[in-house]
Amino acid sequence: MNCQEFWNSMPLLADAAALANHEHLAQCPACVARLRSQLALKKGLRAVAVQMSRVQAPPQVEARLLVAFRAHTGMAAGNPQSVRAGARRIPIFTWATAAAALFAMAVFLIAGHQPDSASPAVSRGVEMAAAWMPAAIETEGASLVAESGFIPLPNAAQIGQNEDVNLVRVEVPRSAMIALGYDVKPGQASESVEADVMLGNDGLARAVRFLD
Amino acid sequence: MTPSPPETDDDLLTRLRSGDEEAFVTLYRRRQGAIYRFALHMSGSQPVAEDVTQEVFLALLREECGFDPGRGTLSGYLFGIARKLVLRNVERGRSDLTLDNDLDDSTSRELAVNDDPLAELTHREGIAALRRAVQALPRRYREVVVLCDLEELDYADAAVALGCPIGTVRSRLHRARGLLLDKLKQERNPRQAVGGLKPVRCLS
Repeated sequence: MNCQEFWNSMPLLADAAALANHEHLAQCPACVARLRSQLALKKGLRAVAVQMSRVQAPPQVEARLLVAFRAHTGMAAGNPQSVRAGARRIPIFTWATAAAALFAMAVFLIAGHQPDSASPAVSRGVEMAAAWMPAAIETEGASLVAESGFIPLPNAAQIGQNEDVNLVRVEVPRSAMIALGYDVKPGQASESVEADVMLGNDGLARAVRFLD
Repeated sequence: MTPSPPETDDDLLTRLRSGDEEAFVTLYRRRQGAIYRFALHMSGSQPVAEDVTQEVFLALLREECGFDPGRGTLSGYLFGIARKLVLRNVERGRSDLTLDNDLDDSTSRELAVNDDPLAELTHREGIAALRRAVQALPRRYREVVVLCDLEELDYADAAVALGCPIGTVRSRLHRARGLLLDKLKQERNPRQAVGGLKPVRCLS
């Protein structure tokens, strides 16, 4: 057996033990040296693999995928395009964003409305949720805000054509709905209601959608 | 009492398709690391690796997801999607071709010339040099080394991921290892010209 035949017969070092006693190796120092190099390389690659094994995808990837999964399982069957279109740039939701949304809502609600409401306009708590952004909002801009159930906030800038927006889910007093033209019974004014607030690139609230 | 064996990927896929979030999370956590590392090795870019990982698992949610258990494992299928996505990103120019991750990559390239330059491959500097060598491989060889040597995919799964016969995987891997050895020897002993690495024919 020559060198070529030897390496053809066991090209991938699958069985190092069998190689150790191979007849050809007893006669060929060059192949012994080459084999030693290959085994050292294999060991080195193993060490690289061990070192790299702690490299994982950042946590936000899982968070985005969970949002997509929930949106997918929650929406009507047979509409995969909705996931596809919005999936690449699902916004990253942070507590800071939630706080900004709450602050923006509070400023809006306190500034111009609710003099007769017994309930404070500032929400009592914020519950951030990774809310799914309908693809239409992201791609079509402000013109579709209303179609998505969002109500543009007075004096707020319009959503730009290609503007990335964030959604945060907050909990606000039902009395906040009065400011946007909803009828709220006096007995319900102090109740809480969930709302999605749409934030523009600048972090300012542009529109709101009440979930109740 | 013996613990129950972990659910197979196929079982998890069936469950997640029926809306089981826990199955989705379990499958993601089981496979995300390898997919992310593969994309990172192939693109050299963390943002690309992040996007690719996300897209790979989003693909499982789509109705047109083309996974066929008869053609290979889910793992091989996921690597195949990742590979296509990486290529797409690289074609768009979204690739750094450097591994700028947070690993403690040695900056020292001035390694002592040793009688056996491969003897230190498991040391820190040796590992760093080997990572650079892998990164410098042509794509077709790099992907097979990453899949088979670093992520320990078997050749059948690697063949599914690469869309080629198993024999091609074997031959590419063989060639890739030869290139790695040449690269390492050159890096550790720059005075040794490429011409000096010509294999000596053995006639025994």
